[in-house]
Amino acid sequence: MSFPTLPTRLDGVELAIQTRAVTKRYAPDAVALDGLDLQVPAGAVYVLVGPNGAGKSTTLRVLLDLVRADRGTASVLGISTTAQPALVRAQIGYVPEVVDTAYGWLTVGGLLKHHAAFYHAWDWAYADALCKRLGLRMDERFRALSKGGARRVALVTALAHRPPVLLLDEPTDGLDPLARDDFGGLLVDHMADAPTTILWSTHHVHEAERMADHIGVLREGRLLLQAPVDEVRGGLRRYRAEVPDGWAGAPGLNGDVLVRARAGREITWTVWGDERHVAERLSASGATVRDAGRLSLEDAALALLRAGEAA
Amino acid sequence: MLINLDTADERPLYQQIVDEVRRALVLGTLAAQDPLPSVRALATELRVNPNTVQQAYRELERAGIIYSRRGQGTFVADPGTGERALLLRDVAERALKDARRYGIEPEELAEAVLRAAQLHPSTPSTASVP
Repeated sequence: MSFPTLPTRLDGVELAIQTRAVTKRYAPDAVALDGLDLQVPAGAVYVLVGPNGAGKSTTLRVLLDLVRADRGTASVLGISTTAQPALVRAQIGYVPEVVDTAYGWLTVGGLLKHHAAFYHAWDWAYADALCKRLGLRMDERFRALSKGGARRVALVTALAHRPPVLLLDEPTDGLDPLARDDFGGLLVDHMADAPTTILWSTHHVHEAERMADHIGVLREGRLLLQAPVDEVRGGLRRYRAEVPDGWAGAPGLNGDVLVRARAGREITWTVWGDERHVAERLSASGATVRDAGRLSLEDAALALLRAGEAA
Repeated sequence: MLINLDTADERPLYQQIVDEVRRALVLGTLAAQDPLPSVRALATELRVNPNTVQQAYRELERAGIIYSRRGQGTFVADPGTGERALLLRDVAERALKDARRYGIEPEELAEAVLRAAQLHPSTPSTASVP
C-alpha cells in the first residue's frame, strides 16, 4: 500500500520550539531520531504521539540538552539549546518520564526549596497552591511517596517557576483518575494565566484531546504527520459505503487510503483527503456512501501509525 | 450553565460549546442579561484549551447571542427571534445524517419520529446522562 502525502510542516507561523534535521543514534543501529523537523507554534498545545521507542522522550531531552544530537540544531524561544542550555532550561518546565529519586531523603518542602534555588522566577505562593490542589504535604518524605505522588511533585516543580514552555513526558503516568483530572485543571489554569507553549508526549491521546491544538505523530524518529488538530480531524475521515457485487475499488483513491476493512457488501475506508472529493470518487465507482465520520484524535493517530507500519 | 462535551462528536469542541449555550437559551435555563462564566472558569471546568472557549464566545458574540462589557464580563443578549428555528434545523440535520448512515429516507424518518413520539410520550433521553 502506498502511503498518502500527509502534512509535516508548520511553516509560516511563529514557532516556540524548533528542531532542524535532528538525528540521534544511541548505537550505530539504534536510531532514536532520524532527521526530525519538529515545529511547535508559540502558544500551542502540541501533543506528540508514537509507539514506544519512536523517539518522543529523546526529542524532549534534546530540547533540554540532556541529550546531544549527532546532527541538526534545536532551539526553544529562539535560543539554541546547545549554545545556551542553562538559559533554555530556565524557560522550561519539565515533567520527565521517570522521576528522579536521587533526593529521596528530602521532604516535599525540602525538595521544592532545592528546585527553587535554580529559578529566579520561582513563585512560592503558586507552589503552595499547587501542592494544596494536588493533595501534597510539605513535610512528607519524597521517598515515601507513591509513584503518583512523586509525579505530582514533578508537576509542581515544573509549573511553580511559571515557565513559558512546558515539556511533559507522559505526565499523567501513575496518576489515579482524580489526580489526572486535577492535573488537567491545573494545566488549563496555567494556560489561562500566561501564554504557554506545551509539548505533551503521551500514549494516551484522549487525555490531551480536549486541550491539544496541534499533533505530531512520530514513528522511528520521523514525523509521519505534523499539523493543526482541526486539519487532521477535517482531513482524515472514515467512510462507510455499500458496494455492488464484484466491486473493484475506487480508482484514484488508493494512494490516500490508510485503513480499509470489508465485511460482505460493506466497506470501511479511512482516507486522507477532501471529503467531497473522496465521496465523489467512491460514488463514481458504484459505491453508496452512508457515512463520512470524523475520527477521534486517538483513532486518527492509531490509523496513521498502523498505515505507517504497513507501508 | 451545564455544558456537555464529547470528543467523539462530529462537531469541533468550540461548536459544541456554542450549541450548548444556544440550547440553554431555548430551554430557558439561560435568560437575557444572565452572566456567562469567564473564559478561564469555563475552560477549567470543561478541561479544554482556553482558546477553545474564547473561540466559542467570539462566535456567539458575532451571532449576537451574547455581548461582553469591558471589565464586567460576558452576558446573554436579548433574544433574537429565529433562535428556536435555528436549533431545530441543527437537530434535524443531525438526525438526517444519522438516518443516511442506516439507509433511511427523510420521509421514513419523519414518520418514525411521530410514531415513536406517540408510543412514548415525553420519554426523556438518557443518552447524554453519564
